Amino acid sequence: MIEPVQLEDFFLNVFSAAVIVVSGAGYAGFYAWGKIARRPGFVISAYASYASLAAAVWVLAETSHFEGFWRVAAGLMLIGYFAAPLAIFRLCTAMHAGEHSEHDRPIANQQQEEEQS
Amino acid sequence: MSVGVLDSRNLNGGQKLAVKYFTVAMVLFVAQILFGLLAAVQFIAPGFLFETLDFSVNRMLHINAMVVWMLYGFIGAVYWFLEEESGVEVVGLKLGEIAFWVLTAAVGIVVLVYLFLQIGAGDDTTRWLINEGREYIEAPRWADIGIVAVMLVFFYNVAGTFSKGRWSGVSGVLTLDLVALVGLYLAGMFYTTNVTVDYYWWWWVVHLWVEATWEVLVGCIMAWSLMKLLGVRRKIVQTWLYIEVALMFGSGILGLGHHYFWIGTPEYWLSIGGFFSALEPIPLVAMVVHSIYDAGVHKFKSTNHPALGWVIAHTFGNFFGAGVWGFMHTLPQINLYTHGTQWTASHGHLSFFGAYATINIAFFYLAVQQWRGNVWMGANLADNGWKWKWSMGLLNLGVVGMTVALLIAGYEQSFIERAVEGSTWSGYFAAQTHPWFTEAMFWRLIMGIVTAAGLALLIWDLATIGAGETRPALVIERHEEPGVKAAVVQTA
Repeated sequence: MIEPVQLEDFFLNVFSAAVIVVSGAGYAGFYAWGKIARRPGFVISAYASYASLAAAVWVLAETSHFEGFWRVAAGLMLIGYFAAPLAIFRLCTAMHAGEHSEHDRPIANQQQEEEQS
Repeated sequence: MSVGVLDSRNLNGGQKLAVKYFTVAMVLFVAQILFGLLAAVQFIAPGFLFETLDFSVNRMLHINAMVVWMLYGFIGAVYWFLEEESGVEVVGLKLGEIAFWVLTAAVGIVVLVYLFLQIGAGDDTTRWLINEGREYIEAPRWADIGIVAVMLVFFYNVAGTFSKGRWSGVSGVLTLDLVALVGLYLAGMFYTTNVTVDYYWWWWVVHLWVEATWEVLVGCIMAWSLMKLLGVRRKIVQTWLYIEVALMFGSGILGLGHHYFWIGTPEYWLSIGGFFSALEPIPLVAMVVHSIYDAGVHKFKSTNHPALGWVIAHTFGNFFGAGVWGFMHTLPQINLYTHGTQWTASHGHLSFFGAYATINIAFFYLAVQQWRGNVWMGANLADNGWKWKWSMGLLNLGVVGMTVALLIAGYEQSFIERAVEGSTWSGYFAAQTHPWFTEAMFWRLIMGIVTAAGLALLIWDLATIGAGETRPALVIERHEEPGVKAAVVQTA
């Protein structure tokens, strides 16, 4: 069912796995920051990170001899890493909507509050 | 209220009990590092303390002390916020106090038995009174039963208090998680004659405790800490807590499969374990998006800089330790070589420190702040905060250094012992004597000493930070929310 990694691919395999997670975080981080700061450069960096993630998934799949189910799993992983940060960013935006008006309320000190009460 | 001195009148009932848990947690943290250092020395000088305090005993004490101090920290953290979160005094606090002393006495006895008796005949008496023999959960059966009993008291305190006071999203998730925390421990308390079946259930305790119930428990503690430290709105932390629980359970429960690869379970566990392990980094990537969002949208003002520093260390440590280091060797195609090598120890060191030790230390700082009368712990501390900064730096450097050293050793083992020599006995020794391995073990010891230095500084800092401080803590004023006494805003 599985064919182990070849000795000569050992480093490539573990390195590509690490690159997947780090690039995934890079893609998520650059995307979120680019959207918040309205800096297109960060969004481009996000997609560059995703490209690196996709390349790493390909290397991982090749060196791990993925076939059948495992290729489907790698495809799902690519889709998941692409879509999850976008969905989470939308969720963040929706959740924080209207928050600023609440946070603009006057600043107070707990001691003053205690004195008042 | 006394300001600038450690005064228990500054604490509520739950917090007084929490301080006891935190104190024992720190003692066990010291024990963990001490026995870890002894074990590290034995890798370099195998004759050191041979037949007096063997490597197997040191390693057992090192890991057991870690598990127990983290549990003490989590329990303490929950008692700490219980009254504030529920709005009422802790229900059954006296019983909770008794449970604390029973647990602490039991831990003390177990450690003494580990140190002085160490082994038995391998019969029922050994299992009940000396050592159960299962890796990581070696506590004898009587202590196992005691742990479950104490956890039930803890559950009673928590569920009873929230039932009497008010429920919230945090309290609901926490209470349900405690049911799992107690229940899963039972899976490691019975024997079968089939080692595969035995391991099958053993992993329920080891994996599901750590990657499900502990993660959720830490999620609840983090949620409360973020409201306290940064003034994050309850609605937001609770929504994220629900998402995190869904993602953790969705990926973590069947991620258990990556421990079933090589214990004799059916082949389908290769696919299940591989697939769900690939999903496990997703909650961590989700946290990256939200952290960036919050950092960009809000200007953080924190009530407690050391605690916030440790929360940030938690974010990075959890991501790299659990996410990157975990996924690097979790697929069966590579795990065939890496399983059970120092690679696992590398992953274990960074992920336990990053995911759990950091959040406990953050809570210790919150506790000491309140214990001293809720004093200032923001910028411009009396000594410029050099002790907490250096202790954090040394602890992180030490653990990261050990992680890298163990990774090198594990990589070499996977190569030589597993791939080249085919997991033979001679392959094992060839790997253990290879220069890469011995050099890595030397550097692991050096980095262990750095970690110990960081711990010494941490203890010094916790004992002195805020002493003589007269400025009150930065106040994060909290808006009224329906059903909740106070939520959050920020002040300068």
